[in-house]
Amino acid sequence: MQDFDLIETPENVELERSLAGIGSRFIAGLLDNLLIALMYLILFVLLLVVGINVAGSIGISNAAEMWLLAIIILIAFAIYWGYFVLFEMYTNGQSPGKKYMKIRVVQVEGGGISFNSIAIRNLLRVVDAIGGYAVAGITMFVTKKVQRLGDLAAGTVVISEEVPNYSARYDKKKKILDNEAITSAALEATGLKPEEYRLLHNYWLRRDELNVEAKKQLLPQLIHPILNRTGHSLATESLVVLEEYVEKIMAKARKAEQEATKGTDNLEAEL
Amino acid sequence: MTPARFLETRAKAWNRLEAIVSKTSKKGVRALDDKELHELTRLYPAVAIDVARARMYNIDPMTQKRINQIAISAHGLLYRRKNVRYLQTIWEFFCYGYPRLFRRLWPYITLATVLFVICILGSYVSTQVKPSNAYIFVPGQLDLTDEDPGVSGKDISERFRRIPKPPMAAGIMANNISVAFKAFALGITAGIGTCYVIIFNSMVLGGFAGHFSNHGLAYEFWSFIAPHGVLEIFAILVSAAAGLRLGLSLVLPGELKRSASLRVGAQDAVLLVLGTIPMFIIAGFIEGFVTPSYIPGAMKIILGVTITLLTIAYLILAGRSSLPDIKSKS
Repeated sequence: MQDFDLIETPENVELERSLAGIGSRFIAGLLDNLLIALMYLILFVLLLVVGINVAGSIGISNAAEMWLLAIIILIAFAIYWGYFVLFEMYTNGQSPGKKYMKIRVVQVEGGGISFNSIAIRNLLRVVDAIGGYAVAGITMFVTKKVQRLGDLAAGTVVISEEVPNYSARYDKKKKILDNEAITSAALEATGLKPEEYRLLHNYWLRRDELNVEAKKQLLPQLIHPILNRTGHSLATESLVVLEEYVEKIMAKARKAEQEATKGTDNLEAEL
Repeated sequence: MTPARFLETRAKAWNRLEAIVSKTSKKGVRALDDKELHELTRLYPAVAIDVARARMYNIDPMTQKRINQIAISAHGLLYRRKNVRYLQTIWEFFCYGYPRLFRRLWPYITLATVLFVICILGSYVSTQVKPSNAYIFVPGQLDLTDEDPGVSGKDISERFRRIPKPPMAAGIMANNISVAFKAFALGITAGIGTCYVIIFNSMVLGGFAGHFSNHGLAYEFWSFIAPHGVLEIFAILVSAAAGLRLGLSLVLPGELKRSASLRVGAQDAVLLVLGTIPMFIIAGFIEGFVTPSYIPGAMKIILGVTITLLTIAYLILAGRSSLPDIKSKS
């Protein structure tokens, strides 16, 4: 079982898809089945309203009622076998439950699902559903691409379309960095106040988690007070220049720290 | 180019493509106007390459994910199947594709038929030799006792006539198509489940036939079963052949990988089983409206056999002209 899958595009670039997990697929299936149950309930109520008692239907004579009963039987049949087929056909691989869970069925080789594959995976659903979808669960667990039997035969995978949250996140694990001791060597080399250095250092450690927009907002806020105090000025507002400025400061600090520790190492060696 | 400059220069393209892609989330490509469509086709290849470049520059993982996500959504929009016209496809399928598929898969149909014939003869002969064997094949369903038949042949039809016709036809269609779908789906158990469906159903039928003939009701029985039953049984055998195609693609993958063989087999098999739906609809109407009618039994039998022979003739003769095979298109 993996949580991602690679497809190669005609441009020879490998794109990464994230596969839907067993959990989200199970919930999607549960929602779909609830919806199916609701439809059956509506049909049943319809039966009662029209006044046909299912058990007593033998011997009814009203022609309209007989045809209505026939239609209801066919609708129930169509819901049972057709619910997933029709939804996946018209929404390009998303039944309502899947839509809610932001997952979608696609072909293994990439691209939208074909009618044949929709029919295969949903007819095989009766086998996958044996034991309360136990068969599907086991198969999904042992296959690399989290496929149930229907997916294996149809050549489909279910992918997650949840868009990750790109904004910078506060990482608990890295909180310790805030309290890291600031070496005097670093302060000396950069000419910054401790709080200024701490801010830049923390930015530097977290730069990988920030996207371009966040950086554009954050960097000027960090750097302008420093520039105002020291009287320096930078040529542009460009993100590149600002990042290079931080990079230079950090490089200076690192170098100074390394020399300082080297000094103590040497001292220890001499002793 | 430094990673930072890469981010700066390309961000505009990503934002634009992201905006276009998010516009399609509800209605698909139809939500875009001509200009946006043009932009989509121009932006996508560049952004796809950006995915590779972002990996090369090793820029932050979140941004890599974002570009990848934009590219994959655009990929899904561009490399999709062209919209098919369903009615035309279905029409072509029954004119050409289905008869050809049937002829190509004849060994599986033969296999299913042979198994069916063996089991029905076995259970029939066994019931002839020892009448009480009927209870093995049709447990709890016979209401005819050995000493006193209880109901005459007329009564069987009479009881059937009291059920309203439209719901009965609908119910029979629904039930039979479900059996056909299951016979196909159970093929995934290496064909064992499908064989079980064939064996079970043929033994019930053989047991019934043997039992009724023991009581001298053979003619009544066959004039009751044959009008709809011959076509129904034929359609079930075709569905079972679909299940066997699916199962044997797993057992005997040939030169293909087993997973690939299963996929090829499933593509054949699903079309074979879906093509039986019209047969079940016809059989359902016959069972609902003709079987309980007062037409003489011999006429009913002739009708059932004739319709089945016509179906087989269609499957053998249709689609032999040189229109490109429907399978090669899909």
